[in-house]
Amino acid sequence: MTDSTENVIDVRDLVKRFGSLTAVDGISFSVRPGEVFGILGPNGAGKTTVLECIEGLQKPTAGSIEVLGLDVLRETNRVKELIGIQLQASAYFDYLTVREILRLFGSFYHTSVPPDELIAQVGLEDKAGTTIQKLSGGQKQRFTIAATLVNDPKVVFLDEPTTGLDPQARRGLWEFIQSIQQKGRSVVLTTHYMEEAATLCHRVAIMDRGKIVALDTPSNLVHSLPAPYEVRVVTEGRAAMDGLESLDAVVGVDHGENGTFNLRSSEAAKTLPALLGWVNQAGVTLTHLEVKPATLEDVFLALTGHGLEDRPEDLSS
Amino acid sequence: MILGSLVLANLKMLFRNRQSLFWALAFPLLFVGIFGLFNLDQTTTTTIGVVDRSQDDVSRALIQSLDAINTFKVENRDDEDDARKDLKDGDLNFLIVIPGGLGRSVADGDPASIGLTYDERSPTSAVVIGIIQRFLGEVNLNLVEAPSLLNLSAQGVRARDLDYFDFLLPGFVGMGVMTYAIIGLGAVMTTYREQKILKRIQATPLRVRTFFGGLILAHLMLALVQTALILAAGILILDGDILGNYAYIGILVVMGNTVFLSIGFIVGSIAKNAAAASGLGNAVAMPMMFLSGVFFPTDDLPGFLPTVVSYLPLAPMLEAMRGVALDAEPLWAFPTELAILGGWVILAAAVAIKSFKFG
Repeated sequence: MTDSTENVIDVRDLVKRFGSLTAVDGISFSVRPGEVFGILGPNGAGKTTVLECIEGLQKPTAGSIEVLGLDVLRETNRVKELIGIQLQASAYFDYLTVREILRLFGSFYHTSVPPDELIAQVGLEDKAGTTIQKLSGGQKQRFTIAATLVNDPKVVFLDEPTTGLDPQARRGLWEFIQSIQQKGRSVVLTTHYMEEAATLCHRVAIMDRGKIVALDTPSNLVHSLPAPYEVRVVTEGRAAMDGLESLDAVVGVDHGENGTFNLRSSEAAKTLPALLGWVNQAGVTLTHLEVKPATLEDVFLALTGHGLEDRPEDLSS
Repeated sequence: MILGSLVLANLKMLFRNRQSLFWALAFPLLFVGIFGLFNLDQTTTTTIGVVDRSQDDVSRALIQSLDAINTFKVENRDDEDDARKDLKDGDLNFLIVIPGGLGRSVADGDPASIGLTYDERSPTSAVVIGIIQRFLGEVNLNLVEAPSLLNLSAQGVRARDLDYFDFLLPGFVGMGVMTYAIIGLGAVMTTYREQKILKRIQATPLRVRTFFGGLILAHLMLALVQTALILAAGILILDGDILGNYAYIGILVVMGNTVFLSIGFIVGSIAKNAAAASGLGNAVAMPMMFLSGVFFPTDDLPGFLPTVVSYLPLAPMLEAMRGVALDAEPLWAFPTELAILGGWVILAAAVAIKSFKFG
């Protein structure tokens, strides 16, 4: 573990209870400078609660949190000066324009970025004089992220930044979030989209029922699975294929219908040549061959026994 | 300065929100207009039906003099039965019947009996009978050509040119300021909470009290604008009168509005959403408006109500404001009212702070 003074965030044994409900159940993690850190989990996993405890918006039941070397509980306001926060589904004043809101929020901080600079960053120049209610969903989301940057923060917190956006707007926002990070800031975001975590995050903490069940880079998480690849073949004439289990790096074989076979592989690079050799020898013709890497969804499923979208009840709010 | 930019931003929001602006400005002005256009001060004239069976010079002269009395309007009735029926139905309260041959009786010196039938339930009957009696007494003296030894020299003095509308005007100020503060701020607060705007503010280093300071200062300024507009409309367009010091009125508005804004704040803390806030705000504001003397003096209320109402915030505010506006009294002429209002300022603010929640 790295020295704690190097980390921008250090969370130790964080517990948050609401009455009899334990929303966050003793978690610890650190966020390093300049990284995009993702908290991935289904609704109700406790992601938002963790974020709000770090932001100083909620008081932890137990545990300690340091942000940029400052104790969040004791120096809440100094921490707030240094961080930028986007809340899940938070609105802004209906009757102020984009520029007016950014100027107003800027006035709350010791240091602030000129509104027009922020507006240019998020490409809302032609909307600077309009009120928020007249922006599209994607524009609104870009605006709320611009609003997290008014104090030129060292750490930016984004709570489900792309929820409710269409795929195109989501991709646009991903680029923007990457551009925030490229300016040397650290970004902490929560999401329940595994693709988002895989694309954006340097490291991902997978949360379920108030606990972190795994924490690593997306690729390490996937490769921690016993079979991070699936090789799928379809044979001509539904030819039987016995002995696939013994091929190199194959962990298991599932026999599908109509001559489909799914080989679970620990290393696709070894399984594929072996498979092709075997096919040649056996004189079987393949009509289809496909190699699929496992995803964070598979990791989540393997770790928790249920899918990311399986728990609709929202315990976090 | 943060507070300055907050006040400015809040004022922009208040004035851009057309709907809330309607309730703040147009609604009380509507009241001013409606009440100002009705002539509410018409001196009530009493209609007296007269059946003249004589139809001679003396009876006609008598009727003419009766009609000359300001408070009376004489209605000549030809059909006595019809007139008596109106009396029974309540369409007519007084009926005088002049017997036939009045001129001859007077010339002969025979006493003639003038009949007066009246509705016993009419509240003015005693007064009217008294006036007619005195009128007939005078006529009698004139007829016998007795010298007038004693003359009443009555001189009407118009003390101040004040009427019911002038009484209403401070009431409208109180009403407009109160309803908007309670309902408007209640709705704003619930909206801010519902849309997580309060939480977003909490995420910045801004102190919560600074945020609400800005919100409340802007609302107080709006209240003064409301007051100025209501008074200006009442005075300039509808000929109302304010005799006292405007600064005192402003101080009373600020004090009262501080109480009402605190109540609006509490309403916003209790209500789940903006619609509920508006309903709850109305439930608080409407009874207070009708009971606290916006439209009529609280003394007219039955039983112990005037006492109860005098301890609510609106009544002492209006009492003192009318004292300033109508009697040109200074603020310190109302120590009790100011004490009650001041107590409300502290109490309401304390409850508002206690009841506040972010999420």
